[in-house]
Amino acid sequence: MKRVFTKEKVQMALWGIIGLMSILLIWQISVMVTSLGRIMPEPIEVVKSFLISSIKPVGRYTLLQHMLFSLLRVFVGFSLSGVSGIILGIAMGRSKTINSIASPIFNMVRPIPGVAWIPLAILWFGIGETTKYFIIFMGGFAQVVVNTMSGARKVDKTLVGAARMLGANKRQEFFRIVIPSSVPYIFAGLQISLSTSWMAVLAAEMVSSYKGSGWIIITGMNNGNTVQILVGMISIGVVGLGLANLMRIIERRLCSWRIQGQ
Amino acid sequence: MSKTIKFKLISVFSFISFLIIWQICTDVLHLLPPYSLPSPIKTFSTFFVKISSTSPDGSVLPIHILASLQVALLGFLSGAVLGTPLGITMAWNKKFDMMVKPVFDLLRTIPPIGWIPIMILLLGIGTQAKVALIFVSSFVPCVINSYTGIKQTSHIHFWVGQTFGATNSQLLRKIAIPTALPFIFTGLRVSLSVAWMSLVAAELLAATRGLGYMIQIARTIGRADIIVLGMLLIGSIGGVLSILLEYVENKFVKGGV
Amino acid sequence: MENTGTVTAKNIMIKCNSIFKTFESKDDENEVIRNFNLEIKENEFVVLFGPGQCGKTTVLNIIAGLEQSTKGEVFVNGRKITEPGPDRGMVYQTTALFPWLTVMGNVEFGPKSLGVKKKERRERAQYYIDLVGLKGFEKHYPIKLSGGMQQRVGIARAYCNNPPVILLDEPFGALDAQTRYLMEEELGRICTKEKRTIVFVTNNIEEAIYLADRIVLLTNCPTTIRKEYIIGLPRPRDYTSNDFLTLRKEITSEMDETI
Repeated sequence: MKRVFTKEKVQMALWGIIGLMSILLIWQISVMVTSLGRIMPEPIEVVKSFLISSIKPVGRYTLLQHMLFSLLRVFVGFSLSGVSGIILGIAMGRSKTINSIASPIFNMVRPIPGVAWIPLAILWFGIGETTKYFIIFMGGFAQVVVNTMSGARKVDKTLVGAARMLGANKRQEFFRIVIPSSVPYIFAGLQISLSTSWMAVLAAEMVSSYKGSGWIIITGMNNGNTVQILVGMISIGVVGLGLANLMRIIERRLCSWRIQGQ
Repeated sequence: MSKTIKFKLISVFSFISFLIIWQICTDVLHLLPPYSLPSPIKTFSTFFVKISSTSPDGSVLPIHILASLQVALLGFLSGAVLGTPLGITMAWNKKFDMMVKPVFDLLRTIPPIGWIPIMILLLGIGTQAKVALIFVSSFVPCVINSYTGIKQTSHIHFWVGQTFGATNSQLLRKIAIPTALPFIFTGLRVSLSVAWMSLVAAELLAATRGLGYMIQIARTIGRADIIVLGMLLIGSIGGVLSILLEYVENKFVKGGV
Repeated sequence: MENTGTVTAKNIMIKCNSIFKTFESKDDENEVIRNFNLEIKENEFVVLFGPGQCGKTTVLNIIAGLEQSTKGEVFVNGRKITEPGPDRGMVYQTTALFPWLTVMGNVEFGPKSLGVKKKERRERAQYYIDLVGLKGFEKHYPIKLSGGMQQRVGIARAYCNNPPVILLDEPFGALDAQTRYLMEEELGRICTKEKRTIVFVTNNIEEAIYLADRIVLLTNCPTTIRKEYIIGLPRPRDYTSNDFLTLRKEITSEMDETI
């Protein structure tokens, strides 16, 4: 029998609640007592506004709709960067020739953060959706390439030898050994890339957009509406957490062969 | 031997032809207008002009670079100096850990860029807001990584320490922290790159100086040459910073991982 | 053994023809194998036995085609070996199982590579899984199996392509003593049931005498053959019989001189 409420867990929850409560308390007191109250709302107001804005629209859309717009943008940009990053990463990891052709250009572009592409992207594509896709793409692409490349390079030589001893030809060696053994690396790259993409969409929407999560907080800033900013930040955090957990679940499914124990 | 030289040559050749094709597409064939993509030669000459020219954004290039570097390093260092000890304390003290960890699990979900509006609203568009932003961006990864690092220490190492009569603080200083060092440095690396990125984002949105500001102004007047120059500088400074950090890491972390 | 002395060209399965192997690095040359000659008959169980760091594994890898000799050649079944291929099954020191495949997936990897139809290769794989005693573990991933079970999968995988030659590179070296005895017994049983030409590399003398038809004692680096012993003890062998122990003493003292 597994006990759900062990002493340890109860204690942990208790102290956790104490920690969170004291943060809220400090917030509440400092708003009430100090001059911070002029720009910072009380915590309860944020919660209230959070609940209201899920029904009442902020700008043209409700909070949930804004989040969905951002998610859709991330989905498009991230899929593009994921697929092309995996392809380029494997090509660079497996072929020295491709690697030496692509790496000088790739290494020039790689350290430029996704957000630094925003001005150029706006010049190239205007302020429409393409710009956002492009920025998200540039934000996540490099990480996928780097991880996939190292995965494709670290393929265990013994396993390749074993496959060839069993009669696998070059094609089978690639699809049945190289690809599956790179999957964990690729996934690590995709995970980081997804969280960078979530950040890139935020930046892109803050610079130019009329909807999405970034829009919420930037209009909050422009109108001096702290409550709206905080509501936006909380929603952004929740969605980001959700995305990270989603990736973890997919990874556990796909890489179940790596998990020890039952 | 000759093989490595061959691949080096391919790389050099590839890079040169990339530049030549870029040059031909822009300055020779005019496939792309100069306000959307400058030629490499134009970008290069803009670099020298911008070193001493204040147009169009009011500051010369070295001032922009220094402004960005100053904010980034100030924020990063304060984040690291406060975040790393906090992470270590969290991992070492059980009650403190249970109290602070949930707060951190909440804070870490908010991407650094998401902090920009609230910081600007609370602290204005000056240096303060940006330092605070970079502080938050680098603080969180530093805490998380030093925390994880300390938690990685193997029980056997602790037992060995205890059999030799080490005190609690000796266990921490001689066993746990050396184990955590590689993790701490990973945290610093992550922090540094996140910090640099958030700074660029913040300067795009609200600033009067800095590389992000420079490319944002260049966008409004269609000076793609300054944008590309700025991007290349942002990329290479970020690269140099992480190489420096790697150098420090190699000095500090001994015994391999 | 009754068929010693009737060596004809026809039933020689493996022939190593004066093999030399030198590893070259930038400023150093390291000779690991010097003038290695060996003929192995069909269905013979040969153990390459020698001290720790000599080139036993390198010899095996050259027969496998995973490494190339600097000079000299290897023939298997009359064909010159230039690369790895499915006519030789290989069992590795560490378990070189494919971690992302189940036991079944690993064992049927060979036939699948060679394009055997699903139904047939499943049946064949199942036969060998049963033979090594892993019935019921078909759907397990290697990480969930013990070291001994992993090596059983490795053996089943090597047999499943039906190769005339099986090469084993210290397959039980990483196992604990108890499991090791058990696996040696199992391998002995499998070998009497499924006749193959076997080259087995080990540095464990008991294991060598227990399993071999012929023990080839190797020298230290650069490796070459020091002496050969035909083991005529009846099977299944007894680790504690007098003949066994005498043989053990003889080979051990010979090896001590080698080192």
